[in-house]
Amino acid sequence: MKVLVVIPAYREEACIAEVVTSVIDAGYACLVVEDAGGDRTAELAAAAGAEVVELPINLGVGGALRTGWRYAVTHGFDVVVQVDGDGQHPVAHIGQLLTKLEDNDLDMVVGSRFADGGSHEGVSLMRRVCMRLLSAILRRFARVTLSDPTSGFRAIRQPLLAEFADEFPQHYLGDTFEAALVAGRRGYRIGEIAIPMRARQGGKPSADVFASARAMVRAVVVLLTGTSFDISPRTSAGRQ
Amino acid sequence: MSTTVKQALVLALGGLGLAFVVLRLAHRRLLTTRYAFGWFGVAVLVILAAAAMPFVSDLGKIANITPTAVLLMISSAVLLAISIQLSISVSLLQERLRTTAEAHALLANKVAELERQRQSDT
Repeated sequence: MKVLVVIPAYREEACIAEVVTSVIDAGYACLVVEDAGGDRTAELAAAAGAEVVELPINLGVGGALRTGWRYAVTHGFDVVVQVDGDGQHPVAHIGQLLTKLEDNDLDMVVGSRFADGGSHEGVSLMRRVCMRLLSAILRRFARVTLSDPTSGFRAIRQPLLAEFADEFPQHYLGDTFEAALVAGRRGYRIGEIAIPMRARQGGKPSADVFASARAMVRAVVVLLTGTSFDISPRTSAGRQ
Repeated sequence: MSTTVKQALVLALGGLGLAFVVLRLAHRRLLTTRYAFGWFGVAVLVILAAAAMPFVSDLGKIANITPTAVLLMISSAVLLAISIQLSISVSLLQERLRTTAEAHALLANKVAELERQRQSDT
């Protein structure tokens, strides 16, 4: 199983070198997709030993991720693991994501702060309420059980990987919640493991309260109106 | 001069003005042919509407609304249609720009990789 760790990075000078080093030390190939932040993130990541893809214009997390998925597919990787560039995600738990993926024959495994045995620092009550709501929507409409639907620490395997490389939303919550919803509805199997998540170690969070609220509303509207992106069902994906 | 005639004159002048501006913009290459044609079409429609002003006031009489209101309704509808069409264009362009940016980044990475290979070969 060929594994690529994909790190979407936007202005992560403070932590990127440390994150890349820990990924490489753990024995994984590492790709940093730098999202035109205009700082030294790409340079530091490359110096730390990562393969670096630099976007010419800022596309947001979803754009950086689809670039990463495309790189993985064209370079023949079977599995990608997404890790944030800010040091929040426990690189030591990548092995657990992969084990769960293989042992349970899943298409995607998400690291959850809120699952039993997980931990989180500095998550506001408002945010936790939103998570609960998104979680309930996933369970009800896609029969997917994810206690941390916005977590960006996850492993994705072929053929879902190729589907996402083809079509992947760009907006906030699109890459996490909506992707899980669409994949679940299309019959892909999604699971989770509990992880401890630290408060971010540096850099700035990508969304403020208003952006989050707007994203929540949009996510729900997209669901109600059925206007989300779409992928091939699991049974036919990858068989061309 | 009746109100209808005055309105027709204003409309005709507006249409000519629009046609002039569109031609200028197209000359200076600020508008692509596609949009220049589109807006020129709108200008022609406005001028035709000026010629059809008597008909518009008749229409207003039937529906019991003023000719001005009829004109406003029609022009709002046209503007709305144009805005929606532009939004569709922009959405499409956004998606294309995104795909191009991603492809650009991946190609740049590939070139760097090939350069490294070439250097290690020599």
